[in-house]
Amino acid sequence: MKKEKSNQSWVKLLAILCSLSILAACSGGTSGGPAGAASQTDAGTSTDGKVVLNYWTWWGSETRRPIIEKLVDDFNKSQDKIFVKHSYYPYSDIFTKELAAVSAGNPPDIMMNDINTVQQRASKKQATDLSKYVERDKVKDRFFPELWKTVLYQDKPYGLPFNTDTRMMFYNKDDFKAAGLDPEKFPNTWDELEKTAAKLDKKSGDKYTHIGYSPQFNSDWNLLQLNFDGGRNFFADNGKPVVNAPAKAEAMQYILNNAKRLGQSNIDAFKADFGSKQANPFIAGKVSIWTDVTNFYTQIRDYGQNMNFGVAPLPETKEGAGHYSVGGGFVIEIPYGSKHPDEAWEFLKYMTDVQAQTYWAEKNFDNVANKEASNNPELQKNAVYKASVDNLAVTKITPNPLSAPDYINLINPQRDAIMLGQKSVQEGLNQAQADVEKLISNNK
Amino acid sequence: MARTALRYRGSALSRREAWQGYIFASPWIAGFLLFTAGPMLFSLYASFTNYDITSRMNWIGLRNYETMFSHDPLFWKSLWNTFYYVIISVPLQTAGGLLLAVVLNRKVAGIRIFRTVFYLPSILSGVGVYVLWMMLLSPSAGLVNLMLGWVGVDGPAWLTDPAWTKNAVILMKIWGAGGMMLLYLASLQSVPKRLYEAAELDGAGRFRKFWHVTLPMITPVIFFEIVTGMIGGFQIFQEGYVMGYNNEPGAPMNSLLFYNLHMFLKAFKVFDMGYAMAMAWFLFLIVLALTLVNLILSRLWVHYEGGDQ
Repeated sequence: MKKEKSNQSWVKLLAILCSLSILAACSGGTSGGPAGAASQTDAGTSTDGKVVLNYWTWWGSETRRPIIEKLVDDFNKSQDKIFVKHSYYPYSDIFTKELAAVSAGNPPDIMMNDINTVQQRASKKQATDLSKYVERDKVKDRFFPELWKTVLYQDKPYGLPFNTDTRMMFYNKDDFKAAGLDPEKFPNTWDELEKTAAKLDKKSGDKYTHIGYSPQFNSDWNLLQLNFDGGRNFFADNGKPVVNAPAKAEAMQYILNNAKRLGQSNIDAFKADFGSKQANPFIAGKVSIWTDVTNFYTQIRDYGQNMNFGVAPLPETKEGAGHYSVGGGFVIEIPYGSKHPDEAWEFLKYMTDVQAQTYWAEKNFDNVANKEASNNPELQKNAVYKASVDNLAVTKITPNPLSAPDYINLINPQRDAIMLGQKSVQEGLNQAQADVEKLISNNK
Repeated sequence: MARTALRYRGSALSRREAWQGYIFASPWIAGFLLFTAGPMLFSLYASFTNYDITSRMNWIGLRNYETMFSHDPLFWKSLWNTFYYVIISVPLQTAGGLLLAVVLNRKVAGIRIFRTVFYLPSILSGVGVYVLWMMLLSPSAGLVNLMLGWVGVDGPAWLTDPAWTKNAVILMKIWGAGGMMLLYLASLQSVPKRLYEAAELDGAGRFRKFWHVTLPMITPVIFFEIVTGMIGGFQIFQEGYVMGYNNEPGAPMNSLLFYNLHMFLKAFKVFDMGYAMAMAWFLFLIVLALTLVNLILSRLWVHYEGGDQ
């Protein structure tokens, strides 16, 4: 009897201890923890009297790492007082790492970051106000205005735009020719595109072997709604959400009509096989029209074996409505609490100046934030590059509003419900609108 | 009686031994206070503030809790998703592990190899496994639906149909039931032979022996697995983050937005750390309550009668 009793309490104790330690691990994970900055050298001066700046990026790939390190090297060679030390952290870790480092008061001195969240970081004191440097050195005018807007919080800059991108339509000219279409003329409106796409489909029995175009291929309503709505994202200029605007419903209907014509299961079956490089469906010849950032050109160049392709802006809803597209990109910042902001600024200035930006654009085929570098005639000799720079004029950056930074998590599920036929277009969008309005009022 | 009295007579020796005991345990105690209890209490306090890690920490009373219960649609969605997962997966995994253990408790040639094979999935973890399963679960080209097709079943669109995504994750988790199997196997082998012999003399068949001898004897381990499995189940997170449709966390239709994923997104994407800590504490209370219920219910079905008498 006694034995049994003690045995029982032992198991209970074990169960309780286990539960405690597991729960503790769980809550411990959310409490930030100490800075993960053990691998960095102390921000300070090196033995030869130079100021050492820690610079964090996630560019560790075979292609990008040598490019960023060459830029850092060139900078270091030009300096006798500053030494920039580049550290690479995986994209999945770097932002939480930076957050922990900033909160511990020991951040890197220079950091690449997402262009859509600058205001969030500025408002949370995670980035340094650069006003005095920007005014002193007059750097504002080197950037595209659309990009410059993204770094402002209460009219003060908290970062410098570094690179950007834009979504365009890549199309297979040989497919166009084979279908009796003019390969030099990409459809101008969405309706024309749908008609063109139907001519490019190929079927064997009731299965598609080739699909001309689907707005669900590497693109979705989040892109089309902005184009249909005259370049306006989910918020009006006054900050009010406009998720259920009529034009956004039309964009959704357009996608649904295309899905009805092709069959959603056929689209899903195609998407399940999508890969990258050689296995990219556009490069593999399974799809004739493909939406992507213009950097996709490098994949065609490297894996497409002289593919005969063209690039065009997104269509417009009707003649003159505008070929609006969406872009993203990154900014370069001085995290809040850096011990050497003056020196870090020198590096920021260098990285966004013509020379470094031209080098970055040339090597990565990225769009860069510096206007002069973007318009470099050597670079513009490449037709795709020129088209991408031209397209920036109609490209919108969609920063997260401070009033509802995670609004997209409320819109996407409604979009999914509509796409799955569980809700009507209007019902779903009204719900999304109501949810976003509620989020805004919660955050007040 | 005499021995107990002797032990409790508070001799210098026993006091010194107790003192030494605490010294030996002190690294753990220090670690617990510093790295577990401390942060936990901090998070309890911060859950009543608008803490955002870097710029503010002002007392806002119960506002986070109020937002959670009455203004955040994703809170209830994520709580439901997590409950669904726990309710279905814990019994299935427990039964699956037990079944596996019973099957692998045979004495046949090569059984060690089988045991290894079935145990292996539980040491494989992380994103690699999820990516593998995402391929297996692909609606048209995946192996799972291909095999279902052989028996005439038209498989669902696992990770794209919101009605099936959680089931897909549960299926994947059952594949890892080998970890539980190991404990069951150990406890199965410690059931005394003489009990089976006695049952056989009484004319018990294979099933009756299992039901009346094996099962009661291993209930402590089943209980342990259910408690820890449940606690672990409430922590499900990565699956929703990695396996979301189109790389969107929790997609489609937030059907994979688990509680901890929602908490993570609030904490680290919009820096609403106070809110996330309030969520963490609510989950802590749920799990604590359920664990206590489990402990109470265990009196009804768990038999403590070790095989070491």
